[in-house]
Amino acid sequence: MSHPQRAAAFTSDAERTTWHDETLWFVRQKRDKAVYAIPEFQQLRQLASDIKEHTLSRLDEYLEQFEQNARANGVQVHWAADAAEHNRIVLDIMRGVGATSLVKSKSMLTEECHLNPFLIKNGIAVVDTDLGERIVQLREEAPSHLVLPAIHLKKEDVGETFHVHLGTPKGEKDPQNLTEAARQHLREKFLIGQVAITGVNFAVAETGAVVVCTNEGNADLGVNLAQVHIACMGMEKLIPRTADLGVFTRLLARSATGQPVTTYTSHFAKPAEGRAMHIVIVDNGRTRQLGRPDFRNSLKCIRCGACMNTCPVYRRSGGHSYDFTVPGPIGAILSPNIDMRQHSTLPFASTLCGSCTDVCPVKIDIHAQLYKWRQIIAQEGELPASKKLGMKLLSTVLAHPGIYRFGGKIAREGLRLLPHGLTHAAAFNPWAKARELPEPPKQSFRDWYAEQVVKL
Amino acid sequence: MSSRESILAAVRRNRPEPTPLPPVADFGGEATVEQFAHWLHFIGGQVIRLAADQPLEDAIRQLFPDAGRVASDLMPSTVPVDQQTPTAVLEAVDVAVLRGELGVAENGAVWVPEANMLHRALPMIAQHLALVLDHENIVATMHQAYAAVQHTGNYGVFIAGPSKTADIEQSLVIGAHGARSLVVLLR
Repeated sequence: MSHPQRAAAFTSDAERTTWHDETLWFVRQKRDKAVYAIPEFQQLRQLASDIKEHTLSRLDEYLEQFEQNARANGVQVHWAADAAEHNRIVLDIMRGVGATSLVKSKSMLTEECHLNPFLIKNGIAVVDTDLGERIVQLREEAPSHLVLPAIHLKKEDVGETFHVHLGTPKGEKDPQNLTEAARQHLREKFLIGQVAITGVNFAVAETGAVVVCTNEGNADLGVNLAQVHIACMGMEKLIPRTADLGVFTRLLARSATGQPVTTYTSHFAKPAEGRAMHIVIVDNGRTRQLGRPDFRNSLKCIRCGACMNTCPVYRRSGGHSYDFTVPGPIGAILSPNIDMRQHSTLPFASTLCGSCTDVCPVKIDIHAQLYKWRQIIAQEGELPASKKLGMKLLSTVLAHPGIYRFGGKIAREGLRLLPHGLTHAAAFNPWAKARELPEPPKQSFRDWYAEQVVKL
Repeated sequence: MSSRESILAAVRRNRPEPTPLPPVADFGGEATVEQFAHWLHFIGGQVIRLAADQPLEDAIRQLFPDAGRVASDLMPSTVPVDQQTPTAVLEAVDVAVLRGELGVAENGAVWVPEANMLHRALPMIAQHLALVLDHENIVATMHQAYAAVQHTGNYGVFIAGPSKTADIEQSLVIGAHGARSLVVLLR
């Protein structure tokens, strides 16, 4: 299925689509308030972008420095070329300590690697502990947003899920009560977790520390009660200095949810005595993206989700319509690097309005990259026939003034004479599905101009 | 070739032209108790100014009259906690009273290094958290906070308010997995 097909399924429920749109716009507005509170916010964006750019330009050196410092801290560092290797490494660590259960805090990387199904297949009990992630895990769905995994669900949906899985009373839909039920349920899991997995927001080369930002406290609870901590990170999470954290922590939560900072900004460098810590550094296509000058900027992403909250297409089509771990505008420029054919419709899921670029805290030129992916996808012959033919037809028309003039006349007359039901029929004119065509003018600009010249 | 070598080789092949690492400026800002209290209140926390002669345990008793199990190294505690304390004991702690090193005025965050935690899980597993902070240790921004902390140590956390979530329909709920409330006691 393509993005338009999945989006059509989502928008068939107009009320829910409107609700989804408004909910995310509310988050965007909270972001604006938080951002305007800092006079130097635009300078911070530039700084963040420059720090990331510098880091990418010397990424090999920073990776080695990070590895060396992490090892000196007593942390075991692993390297994974792809998702399969990452998953194998995690399973080997679990088997090495004889663990059969795992508590996970938020990690989009492990989603990208499809770690959960792999571990479950190998007999490991996996519990996602972020509330939103737990909700979608119980529903056997994927997260639909980078930082708001269950944003596609209403409280009634969550209530029903919790009734089935956690035994909350039927019809209970109060977020306070549902969250309390999850707290009780997940506390039990934390207390018996043998191994804890976290994602990584930032990895600091000069100290070997990984930084994890959460609001719920689930990462710290999981890690600090388990014997083994496995931190899984994409290689682009590196930053050179502790001082750089000042820049990124000021940008991340403000851009993501409009909070001045996340509740917990946790720095893990060395395991507690008698416990173990592992870091898995994952490539999975990132070095390839680094080699594409037009697209390497996408590796600056700090996964705040601001581009989703602002995107008119994401807000009205939902995260699942992208069918990729990272949805929204940023997902639409990351996904073709992974599999261009499978995700060929995503760079077209945009109006190119540029709002994503405007809010991006690390100044990724998202809409420009969307446009560039479109060129490549067309060159590779991945456009659907309708788009290909339409483009061919249009280029013929625009290259021949006679045909253009004739076409204009036909359209003006046709719109006036033909019934509305025909000119706006979805089968012939998908543009008119939710729009009205303009009133046809009596004459073309060219005809009007010719008249004026005569009058002179 | 190991994955490590092949990844590093690919990075060397594909990395862009070198660009300079910019220095991080100090943007100034207001390092006041008022700003700190404003933002901590905004994110669901509470600020209490301790009188110079007021014993800490009095303030804690007033705030948590029903708390039977208090863990602290700053006042007489009812539950002794160290890094070896079993999970079951930790889980039963009502209030943890710990020292905060540094407050950040722009967002209400407090730096709590491992050395102040008794057990790494204590600040999150306790039902309620109270942090004692010297009012002179408030800085304006995260830039100044990291400059003051210098090295984040083996483990350390900026804690900004109580644990919270808005994962159900964007409704803010305080008390997700960590502490249900956070109070900062300013000395």
